[in-house]
Order: sequence, then C-alpha cells, then structure tokens
Amino acid sequence: MSEKNRDGKRTARERMKEERVAREAKDARKKKLLVVGAVLVVLAGAAGIGFAVQSGRSSSDTPKAAPAGAIGPKNLVIPDGPANAPSTLVVYEDPRCPACGAFEREFAPTIDQLQDQGKLYNNYHIVSFIDRHDGGKGSKNGANALACAQDAGYFRAYHDVLYKNQPDETVDSWKDKSKLIDLAKQVPGLDSPTFEACVNTNKYGSWVSAVEQDFDKSGYTSTPTVLLNGKSIYPKNGSEDITPDNLVKWVNEANQGKPLGTTGSASASPAPSSTAAETDPNQAPTS
Amino acid sequence: MSEKGVARVAESESVLRRRATGSAFEWLSTAVRLGLAVVWGWAGLAKISDPAVAAQAVRAYRILPESLVKPVGYGLPFLELALAVLLLIGLAVRVAAVISVVLLLVFIAGIASTWARGISVDCGCFGGGGAVAASQTQYLQEILRDIGFLLMALWLVFRPRTKASVDAWLSL
Repeated sequence: MSEKNRDGKRTARERMKEERVAREAKDARKKKLLVVGAVLVVLAGAAGIGFAVQSGRSSSDTPKAAPAGAIGPKNLVIPDGPANAPSTLVVYEDPRCPACGAFEREFAPTIDQLQDQGKLYNNYHIVSFIDRHDGGKGSKNGANALACAQDAGYFRAYHDVLYKNQPDETVDSWKDKSKLIDLAKQVPGLDSPTFEACVNTNKYGSWVSAVEQDFDKSGYTSTPTVLLNGKSIYPKNGSEDITPDNLVKWVNEANQGKPLGTTGSASASPAPSSTAAETDPNQAPTS
Repeated sequence: MSEKGVARVAESESVLRRRATGSAFEWLSTAVRLGLAVVWGWAGLAKISDPAVAAQAVRAYRILPESLVKPVGYGLPFLELALAVLLLIGLAVRVAAVISVVLLLVFIAGIASTWARGISVDCGCFGGGGAVAASQTQYLQEILRDIGFLLMALWLVFRPRTKASVDAWLSL
C-alpha cells in the first residue's frame, strides 16, 4: 500500500466523520429551534386563550337590568332630589367605605335640606371596590340593596340608614344579606317581599358590577369623590375645607340668579329624566 | 509514572472537578428554576379569579391605552402560568428565563414609572392592585422583590442546564 493511498483513505474517513458531526450539529440545532418555536407558540397561545377565557368570564359593563329611575349612559347613576335644581352634586360612594360613612353622617342632613329647598340635585354612583381591597361581599350586597331601595322609591332613606349603621371596613357584616334586610325595617314602607327577593337574589348584581367598571374607568381612585357641578369639592374646594356650612355657601354661590328646582317630591325617586346633569369626569367642568 | 501518565491523571482530575462543579451548578439552577416556577405560578393564579380586578390593576398604572388594558390584564396571568409550567417541567428553560427577564424589566419599569409620576398604586404583582392611599404604596419593596426575581431569571439565562428537566431528557 502506498503512502498516498493510506492518506487518501484517512481523509475520506475523516471527511465522513466531519460530515456526520456537522449533520448531528445541524439536527440538534433544528431540534432546538423546533422546541423554542413550539414553546413560543404555546406562550402566545396561553396569553390569547387566557384573554378569551377571561373575556367570557368578566361581567359586562352594560347592566342586564337597572333600578327604576336610574339615569345616565347605561343607567348607572341613581338620582336624588329635584332634577331641575340649578346645581348638581355627583357622589361616588362605596357602602363599606368608612370615609363615605363619615361624609354621609356629617353631610346627609345638609344635602337633604338643599335638595328639599330645590337647590341641589344629587347623582349617586354606588361603587363597590372595597370588596376587592379587603375581600368580601358587603359592598356589592349593599350596592344591590340600595338599587332595590331605589326600585321601591326609598333610596334616600335607606341610603342614610345604611351609612348610619355602617360596620367597620374590615368587618364584612353585609356579606350576610339578612343584615341589609333588617336595616330596611328602619325605613317605613321599604321592607316587602319584593324588596327582600331583590336583595336575596342579588337582582342588580350586573348593574353593581357595571357601575364599578364605570368607576374603574373614571380616573377617580378613591371614595367619596364629590363633585359640585363637575368640580371636586372633597376634601377641599380650592383652599377651603368642605363643611356643611361651606357646602351651603358654595351651592348658593353657584345657584345665584338661577331658578330653583321643583320641590315637594324630593325624597321620592324622580322619574327618569335628562342625563345632562351627569358630568363626564374626564372632561373639564363646563361651569 | 511517566510524565505523560502524570499529565493524563491531572487532566482527568480537572475533568472530574469540572463535572463536579457543573453538577453543583445544575443543582443550583434546578432550585432557581423551581423557585421561579413557584413565583410565576403564584403571580398568575392570584390574578385569575376576578378579571375586572386584573384589568383595573393594569389600568391603574396609567401607561397603557384603554384598548390594551383588558388584553394585558386578562392575558398576562396566563402567560405567567405558562412560564411557571415550562419552568416546573424544565422545558426550554433558557427561553422561559429570557422571557422572564423581559417581563420583570417591564414590571420594574412600570412600578418605577408610577413612583416617579406620583401615582399611588399597589403593583398588583400577586393579585389585587389598583389605586391605594399614598401612605400604602410599597414601591421600593416591590422593585427590590422584582430585582430578586430578575437575578434568578438571569442566572437561568446563563446556566439553563438543570436536573430533572425535559430539556435534559430531550438532550437539548
């Protein structure tokens, strides 16, 4: 065998070995790419499927049913007082929120008086975000019960009773609906089989959830949020603290030269009326 | 022993040592991999129960437009869960680690941005989220925690070989 021949054989063997190594490396790369690609597809798929699943599970931002006389886009707002009063007070409140309780206990008599004098029209957004923060059901149950009271025509009275009997924020008493029905007995005429069924079946659950979603998107992040003619006045209006006296003063100032609203049926739920009073919080106040 | 023999013994010793440290790293990487799997699994599960809360947690950062709030709020938890599953079984560990790094950088940037803009939010990292009172913000803790997770993910980017993994089984 000549030297040349042996060299030739060796290079052929080496070449084959190199090719095999190269092929294996290529196969390994291919396998790796395949796995990486498949994994990326799975990850994207997981996010997509998750979006679809959660979209199906999430409650609609349009309520299935709204309480009688609710106003505004999608009927998410409960009006109280004369709709043609010259000033409007928008209040975002959570039934479980302690600051809302303090606000209501301090200001409810003044607000009721201003309404009864035809000076003020209230728009309530009954939100329920405390249930998320603290866990529980009291905000949602309370909001539903308020919608039931609105249906029955006793929103204002029941609203006042609830805030006067508000449990501590961390104590979720109102997860028990019978407590809400017990409190309704303090409002003469409210408690009825219809009201109790409304509370017990969570009749306005979809409305409560839609009101909360509307609040989520409002840009307001705390309760109570109180807007007099579109301008935030809680806890301060400019540099002045909100007090019952100041509230009366601000309303009177805003109402100067304007005719008062119709009084007489202030505590009853007014009929559905103009939605003009409902201000869009994302827009600058127009007045 | 000949010089050659000594050299060969020394060589095989160093190979052994390298294998031993390699193995130690693989065990460490395995622990990091499983730890990160728990983090993503916990974070994902906690955000699934109430879609509205997840959406609000995203919205509260005031970074994304409304049209992206729900896709991110609804989809992100499932992406986190998918990452948890990949890390748990040890499939495509490096890919999962790279995506973890990217996600964590985005989260840290988001939290830092709300902090810088003076918006009071709970990061919603493990469920919850949304606006909170200014006194209840925990930006520094949240960022430090995420940096810890980031270091874990970075470790796996550079040392993705782990024990008891599908990657090893597939000899990737």
